[in-house]
Amino acid sequence: MATATVQYSRARSTYAALRLSVLQFLADPQWLVPSMIAPVVFALVSFELFRGAGPYFLTYAILGAGMMSMWGQTLYGSGWATGMDREFGTLEPTIQAPTPYLYVVVGRVLWNVISGLIGGGIVYVVIVIVAGGPPAVPNPVGFALLFVFVMVTLASVGVIFAAFYVYTRYAGFIQNIGEFAFYIGTGCMFPVVLLPFVTNPVSLAFPPTWGLDALRYLSIPGYQGFGWGFWGDLAGAVATTVVYLSVAGLVFQRVERHVLEEGNLSEY
Amino acid sequence: MPNDSSAIETHGITRDFDSRKGFLFREVTHTEALKGIDLTVERGAIFGLLGPNGAGKTTLTKILSTLLLPTQGQAFVLGHDVVRDADWLRPRMGLVLGGERGLYTRISARENLRYFADLYGIPRTDRERRIDEVLARVDLEEAADRRVEEYSRGMKQKLHLARGILHRPQILFLDEPTIGLDPKSARETRKLVRSLVADGVTIFLTTHYMFEAEELCPKLAVLSKGRIVAQDTVANLRHLVGGDRTLDVEAYGFDDRELDSLRHLPGVSRFLTEEFGPVSRVTLRMRTDELRVDQVHAALPNHPELMVRERRTSMEDVYLDLVEEEAR
Amino acid sequence: MATPLLAYRPSFWQTFWTNAVMAPRTSLGFMRVDFVLGTIFIVPLTQMVFFAFVVQLGGGGASEIAYTAVGNAVATVTYSSVFSVCQTTDSEKQQGTMEHLLVSPANRFALYFGRGLIPILISLATVAVGLTYAALIYGVSIPLAVFPTLIVSIVLTAFAMVGFGLLLGGVALYLRTSIILGNIFLFVGLLLSGVNFPLSSLPVPLQWAGDALPLTWGLAAIRAAVAGESLGSIAVLWGAVGIAAVASFGAAVGLWKVFERRALSTGSIARF
Repeated sequence: MATATVQYSRARSTYAALRLSVLQFLADPQWLVPSMIAPVVFALVSFELFRGAGPYFLTYAILGAGMMSMWGQTLYGSGWATGMDREFGTLEPTIQAPTPYLYVVVGRVLWNVISGLIGGGIVYVVIVIVAGGPPAVPNPVGFALLFVFVMVTLASVGVIFAAFYVYTRYAGFIQNIGEFAFYIGTGCMFPVVLLPFVTNPVSLAFPPTWGLDALRYLSIPGYQGFGWGFWGDLAGAVATTVVYLSVAGLVFQRVERHVLEEGNLSEY
Repeated sequence: MPNDSSAIETHGITRDFDSRKGFLFREVTHTEALKGIDLTVERGAIFGLLGPNGAGKTTLTKILSTLLLPTQGQAFVLGHDVVRDADWLRPRMGLVLGGERGLYTRISARENLRYFADLYGIPRTDRERRIDEVLARVDLEEAADRRVEEYSRGMKQKLHLARGILHRPQILFLDEPTIGLDPKSARETRKLVRSLVADGVTIFLTTHYMFEAEELCPKLAVLSKGRIVAQDTVANLRHLVGGDRTLDVEAYGFDDRELDSLRHLPGVSRFLTEEFGPVSRVTLRMRTDELRVDQVHAALPNHPELMVRERRTSMEDVYLDLVEEEAR
Repeated sequence: MATPLLAYRPSFWQTFWTNAVMAPRTSLGFMRVDFVLGTIFIVPLTQMVFFAFVVQLGGGGASEIAYTAVGNAVATVTYSSVFSVCQTTDSEKQQGTMEHLLVSPANRFALYFGRGLIPILISLATVAVGLTYAALIYGVSIPLAVFPTLIVSIVLTAFAMVGFGLLLGGVALYLRTSIILGNIFLFVGLLLSGVNFPLSSLPVPLQWAGDALPLTWGLAAIRAAVAGESLGSIAVLWGAVGIAAVASFGAAVGLWKVFERRALSTGSIARF
């Protein structure tokens, strides 16, 4: 056996991580239950609570619960997989591999986006069944396109969240504590403008806040979100997402440097 | 600058750890895991690192394999700095940490290897062949498609090894590679290690098993409490602890006068006493061949039960002598 | 003389106490005081504020918001009881200590009940802090006079919820993990236990499902106590919570035995 030095490919590593996520999911598909139960419950709770929210309450309920499902799946799921790497002891060999860990995370985020979309689809079906018909969406094509883009904004935050799981074994617990704070701050269930003004800068630091506000402008006539309207929201979403994706590599480099200094990669 | 012929070269490597406890009154425990390691390993050879538990073997292995940063000092692997040139080094090195963890247990061995083959950029056209090849080398072909959670400890160890050599590294770090393996598998693993060296791979191996170190490693270092206490060939290490020849002298107790006479026998370079219940054992490390067994009997005329055994100084003797000396 | 061979059998209280003190420390969530404080002080606040905003957006008035505030103050108990207890069990499996636990001669009831002690205390603190937030932020009136009945209601609820957590935790012996069940009940409680809206607004089959959850009865008792209802009507709810607590603990011990057997026959203890 002669020694060899081969070059890794980022796309292949990302695909390998996506494939591994699918295989692990198929090996233990019981996780499907909580990831689907949560959005359905949120859908039904919001359906009940939004009854007085005017003619577009159904859209509010679907958007809110669907987004919460995808929020959880994309953000939480991406970090969770890294947490599992810690538990399995596979974080060390994966970090030691020549591929930057960022591309492994991106592969996992892709899987979480897919399963988040499935969750969103299930929410839609449940609400339609409970409400006895689909909600009125003025611009279905625009809505679908923007919906996919909002998933990208979520994924950009998911990548950064995953870095946190590499950073510390306590990330999962901290995220559990901060879960609802994040839901509030990014306005996944209600417009961020309802929150005290001083909290708005924090909310606006997250790309999904902008994306979701844009989505509401597009699907709920008369919606009162940020004063800069649909195009302003869309520009903000694009800009913040670009920033997140651009700094992701740097964040992972810094985090990797930190864990190599601390030597806590094998802790779980 | 590192020497070109060295696979590994370290200069004054130290590594400190701080562990914190408590909430209001934070208690920080400071540990110096490595205290200035200077080490040189030649290319294409097997280098053994021996040491008791907690000596710092895994810490040093992780630093050399880019998984941990040193607190101070510099380490070069294949002529490249492990901190600055980690990206260059990672495709060229393999790491086998072993144990129950470190594998995706819910999927098969083959899928584990496919995943890492992709992360290491093994060409797709070669991937399956290479996986079959390493599975065959570690004797896991038949179990290749079973979930890893169904594997025995030894099978997991073999899979760790298979992953470590999958991308044909130029240098392989093996942390206790035969731990948990049955004697047959351990022997096959040692055979595999030798064949890798024949292929030009440099092996850095940590082990607890002295016979393994003796069998595999032409050069060894003994690590104790974060320091290298000796680093040389097996023969020179034997010489360092007193010689190649050892005499074990056993009887039901020796008085001080008898111990003194043993200590001053010709050629004795090292003198150790141990008690096993009523039996006392004196171990004499011999610098020369001049002392005969009947001379020992003659020096202890009051012990008809006396037993004297002559043997070659084992690596275990060397190891214990060095570690105990460091502890003193 | 050879050392005599012994067969110790730990006392009920020895097992109870060591599990009460030691077991939570093996779980990551309990390892750090700041995280425990986070569970007690941050989770009730954020969950309550979140649903209060949702109610506000849905056009709800002060009374609806107050209803949601109390509901979520109590519902957050699920984290420290059901969820944490499941996590402790899962953690035993992941660390490979479950086999050693099962091979010990310790009394199973003492073992499981002991494990619930710290979560019970944290649950009590969580509900108390949650209700304080409800009073301070959303003006929920909690007069001093209702404190005795309120405290009894909270204590009973915490017991029932921890018992329920232990019940689910037992399933982890057989399944890979019980956190999934913990997750499910965390969310199902929000829908079926009258946390955000009265149970009566749900279809009848869902109301029945809600009646099977200890949180539903505990929450009803706490709401009745806060509202200053008569001791007689609260006592009926206490009875229901007490039955739920006893049934949960009893079923937990029974199920642990069943699943222990199943796990030993299938070898699933080592899988996670």
